[in-house]
Amino acid sequence: MPRIRRAVEKIHKIDEEELIILKKRVDIATALIIVFIAILIARLWFLQIKKGEEYVKLSENNRIRIQQIQAPRGNVLDRFGRVIITNRPYFNLVWTKEDAPNPDEVIKKLALILHEDISNLLNSIREASGQPRYMPILLKEDIDWQTLVYIENHHFDLPGVRVEAVPSRDYLYGNMASHLIGYLGQINKEELATLKNSKYQGGDPIGKMGIEKLFEKELRGEKGYRYLEVDVLGFEQQILQHQDPLPGNDLQLTIDTDLQLTAEKAMEGLGGAVVAMDVNTGKLLALASSPPLKLDEFIGGISAKVWQEHLNDPLHPLLDKTIQGQYPPGSTYKIVTALAGLSEKIINPQTVFYCSGGLNIYNRRYGCWKTSGHGAISLQRALSESCDVYFYQVGQRLGVDRLAAYAESLGLGQKTGIDLENEKPGLVPTSAWKKKKKNEAWQDGETLSVAIGQGFNLATPLQICRMTAALVNGGKLYKPQIIEAIKDPEGSTIRKIQPDLLGTVHGSAQDRNFIINGLIDAVNTRHGTAGSAKMPSITVGGKTGTAQVVRMSKFKSIPQSLLPRQYKDHAWFTCFAPAEKPEIAVTVLVEHSGHGGSVAAPIAKQVLEEYFKDKIVVDDDELEKKPAQNLHDDQ
Amino acid sequence: MLRFDRRLLQHFDWIILLWLALIATMCLMNLYSAIYPEKPPGTPFYIKQLYYFIMGMGLVLAIISVDYRIFMAWNYPMYGAICLLLIYALILGKTQSGAQRWINLGFFNLQPSEPAKLMLVITLASYYSRKDTGKGFTLKELGIPIALTLFPFLLILKQPDLGTALMLGFIFVSMTLFVKLKWQTLNILLGVCASLIPIAWKFILKPYQRQRIETFLNPEADPLKSGYHIMQSKIAVGSGLTFGKGYLAGTQGHLDFLPERHTDFAFSIWAEEFGFVGSVLFLSIYFFLILWGLNSAVSSRDKFGTLLCIGVVSLIFWQAFINLAMVMGMLPVVGMPLPLFSYGGSSLLTTMAGIGILISVRMRRYQVPG
Repeated sequence: MPRIRRAVEKIHKIDEEELIILKKRVDIATALIIVFIAILIARLWFLQIKKGEEYVKLSENNRIRIQQIQAPRGNVLDRFGRVIITNRPYFNLVWTKEDAPNPDEVIKKLALILHEDISNLLNSIREASGQPRYMPILLKEDIDWQTLVYIENHHFDLPGVRVEAVPSRDYLYGNMASHLIGYLGQINKEELATLKNSKYQGGDPIGKMGIEKLFEKELRGEKGYRYLEVDVLGFEQQILQHQDPLPGNDLQLTIDTDLQLTAEKAMEGLGGAVVAMDVNTGKLLALASSPPLKLDEFIGGISAKVWQEHLNDPLHPLLDKTIQGQYPPGSTYKIVTALAGLSEKIINPQTVFYCSGGLNIYNRRYGCWKTSGHGAISLQRALSESCDVYFYQVGQRLGVDRLAAYAESLGLGQKTGIDLENEKPGLVPTSAWKKKKKNEAWQDGETLSVAIGQGFNLATPLQICRMTAALVNGGKLYKPQIIEAIKDPEGSTIRKIQPDLLGTVHGSAQDRNFIINGLIDAVNTRHGTAGSAKMPSITVGGKTGTAQVVRMSKFKSIPQSLLPRQYKDHAWFTCFAPAEKPEIAVTVLVEHSGHGGSVAAPIAKQVLEEYFKDKIVVDDDELEKKPAQNLHDDQ
Repeated sequence: MLRFDRRLLQHFDWIILLWLALIATMCLMNLYSAIYPEKPPGTPFYIKQLYYFIMGMGLVLAIISVDYRIFMAWNYPMYGAICLLLIYALILGKTQSGAQRWINLGFFNLQPSEPAKLMLVITLASYYSRKDTGKGFTLKELGIPIALTLFPFLLILKQPDLGTALMLGFIFVSMTLFVKLKWQTLNILLGVCASLIPIAWKFILKPYQRQRIETFLNPEADPLKSGYHIMQSKIAVGSGLTFGKGYLAGTQGHLDFLPERHTDFAFSIWAEEFGFVGSVLFLSIYFFLILWGLNSAVSSRDKFGTLLCIGVVSLIFWQAFINLAMVMGMLPVVGMPLPLFSYGGSSLLTTMAGIGILISVRMRRYQVPG
């Protein structure tokens, strides 16, 4: 290997003179190393001989404990900065394995004191089996004052047991917006495994649903620590070191507390949803699913029994009907059919069809809700009086696939993209969809049903609300927004969430205006279906919908009020106001309740009255325009 | 080709093999105690470490069987290969506790940053032995060695493995100081380093790395658990007293108080169980090896051999000192193993290879080149 030989030949040979210099340097290095060894030995002497006894004491029964200090979770605010959720102190019972010589006995005693099944306590301990012996295990959350006092007085009988005060959720408005907000629960093993390398530990609270879950990272803050020296029974002797926790960030919602409360109150006892949206930004002002979750039941874990009760409840409180409830859109879908008909030049505003109370086609009779018929009817009146025959005619000429394209451009049949989990997409049927799903060809008659929102189509209240907003805001389809801003604990804004424009609606502004006029008439003319939403000083436009649940002919003759609840129709109403310059869109769905005009529209009206309360009061005032302007500019 | 020379065997240091065996025994004993009495699934650490020791001995034999001067010829290709491995680890390496340090070889997770340390020793020894005029280096002449150090340094820092990256710095400084600098050069370098510290603090260190140093400088304001680690380690060492709690009788280590007790904190188990006397004995045995290595430096008759020895010794010494000082609560927790004593294949094999180089240089002390 010549390469090596060449290298070896080039190698610098050390002569005697150089060797002396190198030896000197090695001596210096040796001396340095000896100094370093001396430092280490001196340190050993200091730790093991001089301070040794102190460390022996600390190591016996291992007397150092880590105590975590939970960080106060961030507050949740409404759009005006009003606090909706904050924290309150709350006493948890924890137990440290290391400090308890006879765990079984202690657990038995505790089960009696807490009136708790012993197996529950043992389960908590088993859940925490992976963590070191000196880490406290959470046995019970939120113990009451009496128990607290009892335990504090008997702590000598309960070695290893301690009460920790931790901040927990305080819901200032009760169950308001509970589906949106969600709840906290104890972190479970799977979550711990996926969040490895983070600072979570067994027993920590973590968001389980809603924004509490989705914005966990912002809300949770940083835990603090305390290193305690404890005595044999695990009681605190002194704090060796500590680090204060860092509070989490505040979450400012786009929700208006007043509007939300009004909506929820109006829905009391009913199953359904109310959605209110700022039409020009997609910000949600109210997002109410009724009945609400009872958030208190979730503190400390909901019991299997209560959960089962909720599952069996006919009003389905666990379902967030605003985004997970998929209903036939009923006549609200006529907005889609009208837009498609106008844009595809099937009709123009002057096109007149004749309604005799039904349409005989494809060997069947397709009835209009008004059995006596509307007579000769144009688009504006067809919308305002919700004539089914008119839209059968339009739908029949359009075909299902052309109709679907407009429905999709209005945001139907797809998730809206709201920052909440488990949103449902709804359904916009097409011939291809039916082929794929049912392996059947599309029947022409089915198009007629779809055209009046009564076929396979499904929509969530949020989708209908956004569709309404897009109709009146110039055709802009926004992502529904629930978070206004993220603020630090001092209240300054860290991040402001900007409206997210997702797309534009097919069709021209002129076509949309024709439809808008029809919807204004629905509320404001004598024969309109939505007269119950009419307001004195604000012009409202809206569309009612009545989604049939059963189509069995035997129920046809029976009045709705006499039907069993589960066979009653769903009532829809979607509206916007003020009609001249729309600000807000409100959509109401009431399950199994009857007609949109009689049930849903009055609820929407209550929400609008709340929204325009300032404007209504100053209506005759000279300053008429200004306060209304302010109200809008606040956002 | 270099022919076999009978003198090689005559000059072989049998003592040092015994010494290695002694340290290996202490290491395995200690590892056994570290996990006692738990029986985690899989091959226990001490058995795995025994395999690594045996592999290490094979590596030593392989290294001493060739003339160490071969490294000078192959220095840059080897340097390039290690750097490629580092890049590979960074891109594809298995992420372990958030750091890209490992390359999975099937039977073994290689941590390329370990051989990188030895590679730097060889590279710098080769460069300096070629360029040294005996008059001291100027800043301009230092450009190449600084670049050669900085490249792997940054790759390792990016992993992020602050401890190993710092080690490269220590090796560079030790070897460079040994070959002598011009005073002016030294002053400039010190100035640059001092001004770089705040920048490094702000931009290069990861939050957890900053935290470790902050914790050390001000344990009162400890936001994470590293303060806890230091405290528990000090308790373990301190509670050993003069004669220790006895083998397998330590309490700190066996209850889960000591973190990483088979790797970085291995010595605290030893100190707890064998006390001051046992610890001083350990240090004596351990540092004898280091001083023997240093002595090898002046046994060589060529500069390359001398500098190799200096580099290997600085590699082992600084790791040992930083690890021990950390375990005793004198330095921040940086993630630095105690060579030959902490569990870990990459570190052990690298150290054994280094010792192989020391033996090789010493064996060939009468083989004057040319």
